Amino acid sequence: MLILLKGGRIVDPVNGRDEIGDLWIENDRIVAAPKGKLADEVHDVSGKIVMAGAIDIHSHIAGGNVNSARLLLPELHRNWLPNAITLPMSTAKWSTFETGTIYASMGFTTVIEPAIVPHQALQAHLELSDIPIIDKGMLTVLGNDDFLLSLLRDGEGQAAVADYVASILAASNGLGVKCINAGGSAAFKYNARTFSLDDVVPFYGLTSRQIVEALQRAVEDLKIPHPLHLHANNLGIPGNVATALATIEAARGERLHLAHLQFYAYGAEGGHGFSSAAAELAAAVNAAPNVTIDVGQVMFRQTVTISCDALRQFNGAEMAKPKKSIINDGDSNGGGIVPYLYRENDFANAVQWACGLELFLLIDDPWRIFFTTDHPNGAPFTTYPEVFALIMSQDARAEAIARQPQEAVAMTTLPSIAREYNFNEIAIMTRAAPARLLGLKDRGHLGEGGLADIAVYSPGKDLAKMFRFAHLVFKDGDLVVRDGRVTHYRWGKALKVNPAYDKAIDRRLAGYYDHHFGNSRDLFAVKEHLLPRADAFGEVACAR
Amino acid sequence: MSEARINGKPASLAAAAERAAEILSQARLPIIAGLGTDVAGARASILLAEKLRGAYDHMHSARIFADLDVMRQAGLMYTTPSEARLRADVFLFIGKDLPKVWPAMMACLSPADTPPFEVVREPRKLLWIAPPRGGAKVEGLSIETLDTSNLHPTLAGLRARVAGRVINGAKSTLRKLDEFASVLKNAHFGVVVWGSDGLDSLAIEMLHGLIRDLNKATRWTGLPLGVGDNAAGVVQTSGWMTGFPVRTSFGRGFPEHDTWRFDATRMIESGEADIALWISAYGGETPPWEKSTPLIALASPHTAFAREPQVCIEVGCPGIDHDAVEFAREAGSLVARLASQPSQTPSVAAIVGQITQHLGGEA
Repeated sequence: MLILLKGGRIVDPVNGRDEIGDLWIENDRIVAAPKGKLADEVHDVSGKIVMAGAIDIHSHIAGGNVNSARLLLPELHRNWLPNAITLPMSTAKWSTFETGTIYASMGFTTVIEPAIVPHQALQAHLELSDIPIIDKGMLTVLGNDDFLLSLLRDGEGQAAVADYVASILAASNGLGVKCINAGGSAAFKYNARTFSLDDVVPFYGLTSRQIVEALQRAVEDLKIPHPLHLHANNLGIPGNVATALATIEAARGERLHLAHLQFYAYGAEGGHGFSSAAAELAAAVNAAPNVTIDVGQVMFRQTVTISCDALRQFNGAEMAKPKKSIINDGDSNGGGIVPYLYRENDFANAVQWACGLELFLLIDDPWRIFFTTDHPNGAPFTTYPEVFALIMSQDARAEAIARQPQEAVAMTTLPSIAREYNFNEIAIMTRAAPARLLGLKDRGHLGEGGLADIAVYSPGKDLAKMFRFAHLVFKDGDLVVRDGRVTHYRWGKALKVNPAYDKAIDRRLAGYYDHHFGNSRDLFAVKEHLLPRADAFGEVACAR
Repeated sequence: MSEARINGKPASLAAAAERAAEILSQARLPIIAGLGTDVAGARASILLAEKLRGAYDHMHSARIFADLDVMRQAGLMYTTPSEARLRADVFLFIGKDLPKVWPAMMACLSPADTPPFEVVREPRKLLWIAPPRGGAKVEGLSIETLDTSNLHPTLAGLRARVAGRVINGAKSTLRKLDEFASVLKNAHFGVVVWGSDGLDSLAIEMLHGLIRDLNKATRWTGLPLGVGDNAAGVVQTSGWMTGFPVRTSFGRGFPEHDTWRFDATRMIESGEADIALWISAYGGETPPWEKSTPLIALASPHTAFAREPQVCIEVGCPGIDHDAVEFAREAGSLVARLASQPSQTPSVAAIVGQITQHLGGEA
């Protein structure tokens, strides 16, 4: 099947293109204009914008915590409109099926679930396999697991740590390593109520800094494309910018990804003891080329926070709205689910909203900043179109700022910022850069040989509308979205790495599981034949 | 060789699946009930329910919702058996039937062992409210017990004493409650274990409140034992597919969840549901209702039905006859169970898939 997208504005920063032109697709790949062949299907896309499919590097779309949130909050996702069931579960709100459908209709074709503890990997992959259309992947959470902490305490050396990390990634089929408040969940089991970079995990005598450093090195030693994905200490606390700055310094120039940095951009100035320190933090990020970040933008609405940071979620449970929460002292990280309502007329929420936008606008390099709301923690991913509009239009921001408490606005630099993202920068931030960060060479661009994951948008005054309803979306060359509506399901792959390691660690781990858990480690391995569809995985090479 | 019957007469699998599809397609409002199956079986069944615009329920819903209703009204703090075994310095057991509810409980929690991850290594303490008749015994461990015929006032009293509030009662009762309260407050990582048959939502909510209160100063969490035979796995599967647990209907064109309206037995007895698909692959359970509504059954071999189903297909047991994913109590998560005695007996997912194909859907 040969498809021609004719006469669109091609925005492809990887190949330096921003011009009117044609794009050819043959089967699942982008190809050069074939000589002497006619297209089987021609789409006139003149006046449209053509980009690679978007990639979301951090969105909580699967796993036991997400599913517990669904069960905790039936009132948040009731349907009430009797509409036709056109595709399986297409009327099931917040289902895995809806997740893939909405992402695709916005032009996203790859989404990464960033927080799965090893023992939840099987459930996470079952959920991921029921997300239609998009490719997905998951980051495996380490850093509060007793086996790792005992390796570090006993000074077993970096090779043992790397073998362990690789073995866990292999069993869980992860794409990379996430670390969430390193040591914080473990310390919470020993009744710690705060936990910072140099605090010590009782029983193990290790600091958070030591754990992060060890995992960071293991990821590099294993040549895993995605750098350590870190959820730092002290999330959401006034004055926590100090922690974020210290964490950037602690990276010692080595690669590090800081997740949802907005939640760490807080000063403690002013009458409320809460202010934006985003400008200072953005400057530190600008000065640290080894660091990448994603924003975790807050938007004003009801949502639910889902996190493996059990300590943070326990402390946040007092603010739950509706007033109920789940706190899980699970194996390794555990986690917590706290529903939350971000209100436009709330001082702190307005500062948080501004902090995210300040980071977007004050971090210079679109290759190092990633577009997220930390779905659903800052806001559901369904708000992405509105966030695009805010970063692309100073007028849209001015309008929103005018509605907010001016004493909150005064604690930020937002009104003074004139920057507006252009389409090329949007394409870098949401396509080219995520593909590079995750080591996905086959996507994020529109060059020959690339995967035909393509989003075509109808530009217009209403930027949010443009990004909410893509005109056309192709996944692997298959036209799955027309005018924002998914026409049929197809089933993408879960992307994973498979780093080489010394298998001796597997025997040790088997013994550890038998002795400590009284359970066979085999119970937790993600076996492909137990997933609903064959050919569930795509491997991403470990080489840098 | 597997067995299938149509109106009590032996039939091929294919013919039985086709007949089942035919009967289901004529239903006004079919109910898929029982749902004693693995994740793949639940997944296929829920897709079939949507295709039929029917409802689905689980045979253990009463027990499922005793816990789940508290969670979604008040919340939950919980842990895994592994964490409990490795860290708990104090266990608080509720109810005499815990070892019957989960026979492997004592082996998994090994309460007589000193918790290996405690900073100060001391023998564990075990408190047991409403212990087994004739006393609770664990080799190598002395157990403090508190007998009660009514958990509500006992738990309320204990919670009040933990919070330092004054309560009325017999002197000996107060002394006992204070002893318990003191042990609870001095624990480092305490775990409340509950799961009795018939433990109601009010008692569970009081336990949740007790755990919350204790966490103001020290660490406590809960270990609800739940129901066996993958009930929790079916609820999880239902959660990601529809957003809701069992007792959900597609009758109005979207998943709608209501614990009263979509109770299978109520729907059958009231005549709202006119055809039932009963699924029970773990044991010999049969439908609990009296009414002779047309029945299709996917059941373990040799299940004895009060009335012969219109169609009966024998299915294998997950993790024995075929590989499966199911919720493991001992792990507190979905796990891989490889077949211990692989056989040709088909899985629920395979049969439901065949039925669905006859109805023109993907398996």
